[in-house]
Amino acid sequence: MGTVKRAFLYVTRKTGKSILLFLILLVMATFVLTGLSIAKSSREAQHDLRKTLGGEFQIAVDLSDSNPYAGKIVDDDGSVELYTKYPVTREMIDTVMAINGVKSYNAETHMFVSTDLAIFPGNVPVKAEYSNLIYARSVLDTRNSSFFQSEKFNLIEGNHITENEKNAAVISRALAEKNGLKSGDTISIQGENTVTVKIIGIYEILKPDPLYENIVAYEKAENQIFVDFQTLQNLSGNIPAGFGSVTFAVSDPAQLNQIISDVKNLPSIDWRAFEMITDNETYLEAAAPLQKVQMLVTTMMIVIVLVSAVILSLVLTLWGRSRIHETGVFLSLGIAKGTIISQYLAEVFIIAVFAFGFSYVTSNTIANQLANGLLQQTTPVREEQAGVVTQIKDGYSGEDVSISIKDNAAPSDMSQKQENSVDGESAAALAETERTQETQLHTTVGIYSMLQLYVIGITIIIISTGVSSLTVMRLKPREILSRMS
Amino acid sequence: MALLEVKEVRYAYQNGKPVLSNINAAFEAGKMYAVLGASGSGKTTLLSLIGGLDVPHKGEILFEQENILQRGLAYHRRSHVSLIFQSYNLIDYMNAIENAELTAKKKGLPILERLGLTEEEAKRNVMKLSGGQQQRVAIARALASDTPVILADEPTGNLDEDTAAGIIRILKESAHELNKCVIVVTHANELAAQADTILKLSHGTLHEI
Repeated sequence: MGTVKRAFLYVTRKTGKSILLFLILLVMATFVLTGLSIAKSSREAQHDLRKTLGGEFQIAVDLSDSNPYAGKIVDDDGSVELYTKYPVTREMIDTVMAINGVKSYNAETHMFVSTDLAIFPGNVPVKAEYSNLIYARSVLDTRNSSFFQSEKFNLIEGNHITENEKNAAVISRALAEKNGLKSGDTISIQGENTVTVKIIGIYEILKPDPLYENIVAYEKAENQIFVDFQTLQNLSGNIPAGFGSVTFAVSDPAQLNQIISDVKNLPSIDWRAFEMITDNETYLEAAAPLQKVQMLVTTMMIVIVLVSAVILSLVLTLWGRSRIHETGVFLSLGIAKGTIISQYLAEVFIIAVFAFGFSYVTSNTIANQLANGLLQQTTPVREEQAGVVTQIKDGYSGEDVSISIKDNAAPSDMSQKQENSVDGESAAALAETERTQETQLHTTVGIYSMLQLYVIGITIIIISTGVSSLTVMRLKPREILSRMS
Repeated sequence: MALLEVKEVRYAYQNGKPVLSNINAAFEAGKMYAVLGASGSGKTTLLSLIGGLDVPHKGEILFEQENILQRGLAYHRRSHVSLIFQSYNLIDYMNAIENAELTAKKKGLPILERLGLTEEEAKRNVMKLSGGQQQRVAIARALASDTPVILADEPTGNLDEDTAAGIIRILKESAHELNKCVIVVTHANELAAQADTILKLSHGTLHEI
């Protein structure tokens, strides 16, 4: 009679023991499979989160005294203007973009320009020299502008300004209507030089400036004119056009540190002139509960595997002792010890196949609830996060935080200003944080987890059966038979 | 020619007390041997050594002129000898046929029927059979494994007189009709009287009587 047949007879005839072993293995398998599935979904959620939230870093002009290219000008009225001779250039942007993992960038700058157009007045009085000035905003691609990204503005006619555009402008519908302009018309803008640009696109304002807010004319949404980078350079005259800061988005925030290290090692950038600001906090905050869940599950898995192995070893040892008679008979019949252990293993395997299979159902039932239960347990700062959101929301006013940048050699009223586009970033942060709060683990048991379960389960069974068989198998057949008699 | 030989075998218990001093014996096929001796004389120990359940401290046991250690004791137990015990030693989760066929080279049912069990009894769990029937199953297991040597340790010890007589008859037939070498350890003179050769074990030595 073969080993498997003997094992099958034992399993089918000793139904009480088989059912008990089935239940032990089912509980063990359910926990292991649930743990594996949660760990897998947690990993996948973190991966998705990385892809969704991304991460970003900013290269910004350092206007402190440590920047040898920076300086300041004190105007007659006492106002201080900071400037640098070494802004972020387009070449620098291209060099950084060439680094693996850098997905996109957002570079915006603007300068005061005057125009013959009738503009919308602000509700804050300004010096006469500023009263007819507006911002010429430049981005390499208006689609990347924070105004369009945050959906404050929306292009309704014509095209966006793209990287290789020249002498192109995008204006608001309100400004176009006020001045009887349409796509294809040209307007004249005066900076250091006068430049004629063609209107290639018209945008509408989806989020108007708040009525109660004090706002100067050049900051009014209706008055914003977007021009291409070459036009900005032409408007600046001999002053090199550049950006006060550029924000780069990375595809995987987990790689942010490595990318930053690569950027800092770029020989073409003089880092005395710039500072690096990193932002993967949104990702870290969002990923923290998931990482905790994964750590918790991993610990739980180790404990479950160890406890399962111990319990199974104890149970099988107890049963092995009760089977000493049978073992002795087999030995006296010349059945080798290895074959006897194989039978005991086969018995557990037969039951395990069913128990592990059934654990697919039980794990699927509890995995999702347990995963989200753990996630909630590991997210104690939920309300605090909500507070942060509110704060951002309150501060969402569209106000510009500006730093004047001037060329040292030729100070000018036409100052390039760097805008920390609070509008777009706030909106993005808001959306990201809200998304974080909605993070749920959708846990289902997959084939891969089942395969892992079988590998882990079989290992536990082999170890447990081996341990439980040691006592009996160390005995000589005659000793066993003596004990029997 | 001797099928099985015991040469200068010595064995002592774990406490050092010698039980077998210098055993020499030769066993042939087609004969039934009875080993008599008082309790504690070492009969079962001798049977265990011949059956490959234990190893002599000195001397050797030969099967067809070859030391049984040569191919391993498990091989010896599987291929050369079959053991029948006083307590039957059947597997409790199997029926009679399954027990008989545990290491069988032959079908169990015809042997069981020849030994007096009906088909219905043969398919019954062994724990639901009488003592005599269980011992028949044990003998059937020995016969089904088709080994040349059958070793029986007090095979009738737990049986009534009539049943014991039936078992003795089966063992005798196995030796004479199936050309087996049957060695029976017993302290029952009636059983020993049925054997072709009677050996007595006393004071650690074996003598033919």
